[in-house]
Amino acid sequence: MEGDKRFWRAVLLALPLAVFAVFVIWPLASSFYYSFTNWNGFNPDYDYVGLDNFQKIYTDKLFYQAAINTALWMIAAILLPTALGLGLALLIDSSVPGSAAFKSIFYLPICLSAVVVGQIWVWIYQPDWGLLNTVLEAMSGERLRYAWLAKPDTALWSVIVAWSWQQTGLSMVIFLAGLTTIPEDLLEVCEIEGATTAQRIRMVVIPLLTPATVVVIALSVINSLKGFDILYIMTGGGPFNSSDTLAMHMYNESFKKYLMGYGSAISVVLFLIALTIIRVYFRQLRKVDELYG
Amino acid sequence: MARLVLEDVTKRFGAVIAVDAVDLQIEHGEFVVFVGPSGCGKSTMLRTISGLESVSAGRILIGDRDVTHVAPSRRGVAMVFQSYALFPHMTTAENIGFGLRLARVPKDEIARRVTDVAKTLQIEALLDRYPRQLSGGQRQRVAIGRSIIRDPEVFLFDEPLSNLDAALRVRMRLEIARLRDRLDATMVYVTHDQTEAMTLADRIVVFNQGHIEQIGAPVELYDAPANLFVAGFIGAPAMNFIPAEIEAGENGKANVRFGAVSLPIGREAAEGKVTFGVRPEHLSVAAESEHDFLGRVEIVEKLGAESLVYLQTGFSKAPITMRIPPELSVHAGEEIPVRVGRKRLHLFDAEGRVI
Ligand SMILES: Nc1ncnc2c1ncn2[C@@H]1O[C@H](COP(=O)(O)OP(=O)(O)O)[C@@H](O)[C@H]1O
Ligand SMILES: [Mg+2]
Repeated sequence: MEGDKRFWRAVLLALPLAVFAVFVIWPLASSFYYSFTNWNGFNPDYDYVGLDNFQKIYTDKLFYQAAINTALWMIAAILLPTALGLGLALLIDSSVPGSAAFKSIFYLPICLSAVVVGQIWVWIYQPDWGLLNTVLEAMSGERLRYAWLAKPDTALWSVIVAWSWQQTGLSMVIFLAGLTTIPEDLLEVCEIEGATTAQRIRMVVIPLLTPATVVVIALSVINSLKGFDILYIMTGGGPFNSSDTLAMHMYNESFKKYLMGYGSAISVVLFLIALTIIRVYFRQLRKVDELYG
Repeated sequence: MARLVLEDVTKRFGAVIAVDAVDLQIEHGEFVVFVGPSGCGKSTMLRTISGLESVSAGRILIGDRDVTHVAPSRRGVAMVFQSYALFPHMTTAENIGFGLRLARVPKDEIARRVTDVAKTLQIEALLDRYPRQLSGGQRQRVAIGRSIIRDPEVFLFDEPLSNLDAALRVRMRLEIARLRDRLDATMVYVTHDQTEAMTLADRIVVFNQGHIEQIGAPVELYDAPANLFVAGFIGAPAMNFIPAEIEAGENGKANVRFGAVSLPIGREAAEGKVTFGVRPEHLSVAAESEHDFLGRVEIVEKLGAESLVYLQTGFSKAPITMRIPPELSVHAGEEIPVRVGRKRLHLFDAEGRVI
């Protein structure tokens, strides 16, 4: 009997471990391995090149462009959905008329895949008949044909807006859940002590939402580091690499230029950056836990 | 100054009538305690006074000002919650100074006043701590500090001690009594604990199902309960109730009869069925010749300073409780002679009103 149980336990554990090994550990280890080679992705012959790939990163202008874009993307990804999600959650929680409908409307984008979201925004940004230009024309009365996704100065930000649109719904839902955990009597103290709405939100609600904020930011960071699919749909990193992120750059180098070794080196660097951010973040998390746990 | 007047105040939650046409006047400086069983509307009454709940009907006046439709923060009230309601992300000093900070009082004045209040409550050493670093009693002191710093006209306490353990509750009760004597303010204090009510109150208001059963000084409620509910609620252990009858006695005065016992009540009364009430402390073990009835001892509880004896009798289904000195040795199974104190008889009619 006891042996039986052990056997099944081992089998049941082995399955997820195997999946983890095949789909996480193995690719990760392969990336490390190939980053020291000049493999092109399909030719079985390749050479060990030492740190050449990493040296190349050091001088790769496009890598720096992509790194800066990734940083911008991450900062925007933290600020926009967090601020907008919080604002929406507070509005909906104060039960303005129609808040239930707003809740569903803003939540809807989460249910869509990044591909669909990307496609919707491609339509919105479409130069000739897209929603954005149509609205701007109606407001300004001038003819406008701005190609948001095709201009280097707006491409990245246009994608960031689309991405934030989807993330905001997620942040809003997490903040709404956070709001329900704030004890009613603390809000009543605000009422009796004479706090204005702004004071209540600033001095009490936002600090008490810290645990929710931690989750929202963690998800935003993780999602933004993974932010590839929507970019792939909307700009593919163009025009002229102006909307490249590290993930996009790695993809282009590996699968378009067939520099799998170099692409692997980029992915290793990206991995180390992500690891650092997550470590720093989790250290902060422990402090929050001590305060609110 | 801050007289508190409730005129015909009613509060409904849908079909539930939580507070039912309550009329009450509380004088300036008075300490009034609302008692009653759980769910009788005490908290709701307090919350309508604070303005956290609006009234369904009636008027509320504080210091002759009609505040029925005034925002809570403009009523000059402070409230202490059962849960303490301290902000977890603020230190003791920040929690106490919260109201002053909202009112944009200068920082150094806030610091000075917070220190003053902390001294009064003996929590100066805790000013930099967060609520989670404080014990229950300390938290409650901080909550009280937050309420007194703004110098309110009316203090509202909603079961402030019920989350504390028994020993701490007694100590905090004394501190609240001290506070009551020092602060020149009107206080309304809600509790379901009648010891708190008896020890703290100038006047007690007994609530039941949303309405007031009786208002009076603690001793008044104890000596002369107006009805069965108050008689049963005030006093621990509770008064004994015995089904009885009024019959004619000597000199035109009436007797109360239960079982084979007939006691002169010393006044006239209409004949008929009544409930006879006598407190456990007004029954005593008597000499054979002076006893009114015999009771078989079911259980003896020795509490140290006194003993409680539960008796089986022929005239009452519920056991009769009596309170005796600890040195009297009484044992379970024994039959003992009991005398009823003649001066402390309570009679209630079929509707439960005192006769
Ligand atoms: N917000 C509310 N909504 C609906 N019913 C309520 C609400 N608050 C209190 N009640 C009801 O009003 C009655 C009195 O409650 P409460 O004042 O809390 O009693 P107490 O404080 O004496 O225990 C109860 O029946 C309770 O269920
Ligand atoms: Mg209550």
